[in-house]
Amino acid sequence: MTIQRTFDGIDPFEDPVDRLFAETALALQLPPTLHDEVGERYGAVRRKLEQTTAFAGLLEYFYPQGSMAIDATISTRGTDDEYDLDIVAQLGGRFRDMPPLAILLELEGSLKDYPVQAVTRQTRCVTLHYADKMHLDITPALRATGSVERESYITHAKGPEVGINDCFIDMNAYGFVGWYRQRTPIERRLAKSFNDHWRGLDGSSIVADAAEVDEVPDQTHFAVKNTATLALQIIKRARNIRYANYDGRMPPSVMLSFYAGLAALPNMRLSDMVIRIARWIIRDIAEASLNGRKLHVPNPMCEDDIFTDRWPESIGQQNEFAIHLKEIVEGIEEICSGKMSANAIAEWMRERFGSRIFTKAADRMGRQIGAAVQSSSQNYSRKGKLLIPAATRTLSATAASLANPGAAARAHSFYGGII
Amino acid sequence: MSIEAQISHMKTLWPRFRVHHVERGFQAAQWVGVAQPQFTQYTLQIRYRVGAAPQVRILAPALVRLPENPEGQLPHVFPPASDPTLCLYDPDLDQWNWTMAIADTIVPWAFDWIACYEFWLITGRWYGGGRHAGDPLPAVKA
Repeated sequence: MTIQRTFDGIDPFEDPVDRLFAETALALQLPPTLHDEVGERYGAVRRKLEQTTAFAGLLEYFYPQGSMAIDATISTRGTDDEYDLDIVAQLGGRFRDMPPLAILLELEGSLKDYPVQAVTRQTRCVTLHYADKMHLDITPALRATGSVERESYITHAKGPEVGINDCFIDMNAYGFVGWYRQRTPIERRLAKSFNDHWRGLDGSSIVADAAEVDEVPDQTHFAVKNTATLALQIIKRARNIRYANYDGRMPPSVMLSFYAGLAALPNMRLSDMVIRIARWIIRDIAEASLNGRKLHVPNPMCEDDIFTDRWPESIGQQNEFAIHLKEIVEGIEEICSGKMSANAIAEWMRERFGSRIFTKAADRMGRQIGAAVQSSSQNYSRKGKLLIPAATRTLSATAASLANPGAAARAHSFYGGII
Repeated sequence: MSIEAQISHMKTLWPRFRVHHVERGFQAAQWVGVAQPQFTQYTLQIRYRVGAAPQVRILAPALVRLPENPEGQLPHVFPPASDPTLCLYDPDLDQWNWTMAIADTIVPWAFDWIACYEFWLITGRWYGGGRHAGDPLPAVKA
């Protein structure tokens, strides 16, 4: 069992600019009600497979991977409310002697009558498409013997016929999750604040799932709990929007997660963390391009698991992504300078994160600030910075020390003619 | 509250506001200061003469107008449109009088206006409440 260190962290909802980004990320989260479903679906799929002749007794492990395992899930590329979740099904027994396509076909066949809208076989997994737009990818894997924990080979086969490129690919998603978690310790203040805001989205309560499997992290642990992870979600969303109309592959999430883990530092502001991660990637791309090679990012826990095996396809492609990241860095720096007007900020945010999502986030913020103003629950620092304590928490010691003790809000209501 | 007391209180609470044009004979003063309640830094001017209503202007940056907005091209301001001043309290509700400190009221209320103005620019909606001249007073809750 890994014991995580904890830090206080900085609550992004206390800073006006960071709050813009945090609220935007909040609008992209798997909603609490849908999260309820994840645990149930996850357990139900496993139970279904175990009841089939093909898989009975041969499922060694069933565990979340990817963004789901590191709390970084956001809506899928090209959507505002669709979510892709990933599960690894570690298989044993006769599966160890089967070729990749046969395993994928067997998995597809066992799930073909599963009560979802569609079951589709992909190159490396089988996807269950639920009516509420959740997609559950189940990736079959075979444990690599004599290796570190859960290093595995996953299937790669385009089908429907056996092809010369069919193979097993070395990976250690489990090890990477451990690496990531160790580098992104819980930041208590951020975790609590984000969880409170997330719960407030629909006010639902969460029922823990009792599946006999590696648990999907429960709600307390599911919500973002580290600034680097929140920053990662923001970068992923900007990438999703930028590449929404591209036909080809986009910079992979796992690669971005690697950089978030690498750049993670406790007690940083959210906007600074987005810049830090982006700059780290820009620097590595610049170095690779300068040396005439493509970016090469291996899994730090498994050197043969290459996060960049399918992207970039060319140096030009990676340079293009670096330009997008530079635009993000420059934009955030300008926003933080206080020289950008609110409408220009909104235009920039809509362009980077999507109009519907940003409008939703801005409306939520506007309503909260309006309510604080009308109830006189806001306060201002000596420099005039707005400080709004949420109903469920008090301001951090840092923010409170900035508050102007003589500037306690007094009730007033706006007036005036229409000009 | 005398103009001296107002000046002293402003200096204590809002050190980034500097007093200018003090006219003790008329019990009047003008303050100019910078503040960034949320996203953008503003330069504000407050003109006050004891017994009169304080006038608050945003000197910079120029206020952005939304011509087709239901709140008007600028929300909750006094005319003229070419030189608007902020309407920060309801005169019919006795929310401000000359015994009150500008530093405790007008300044944070101006910041409130800026916070709501910025979200008005972003969404087109005024979230700060209030009423326009001629609208009925809000019902008093029992």
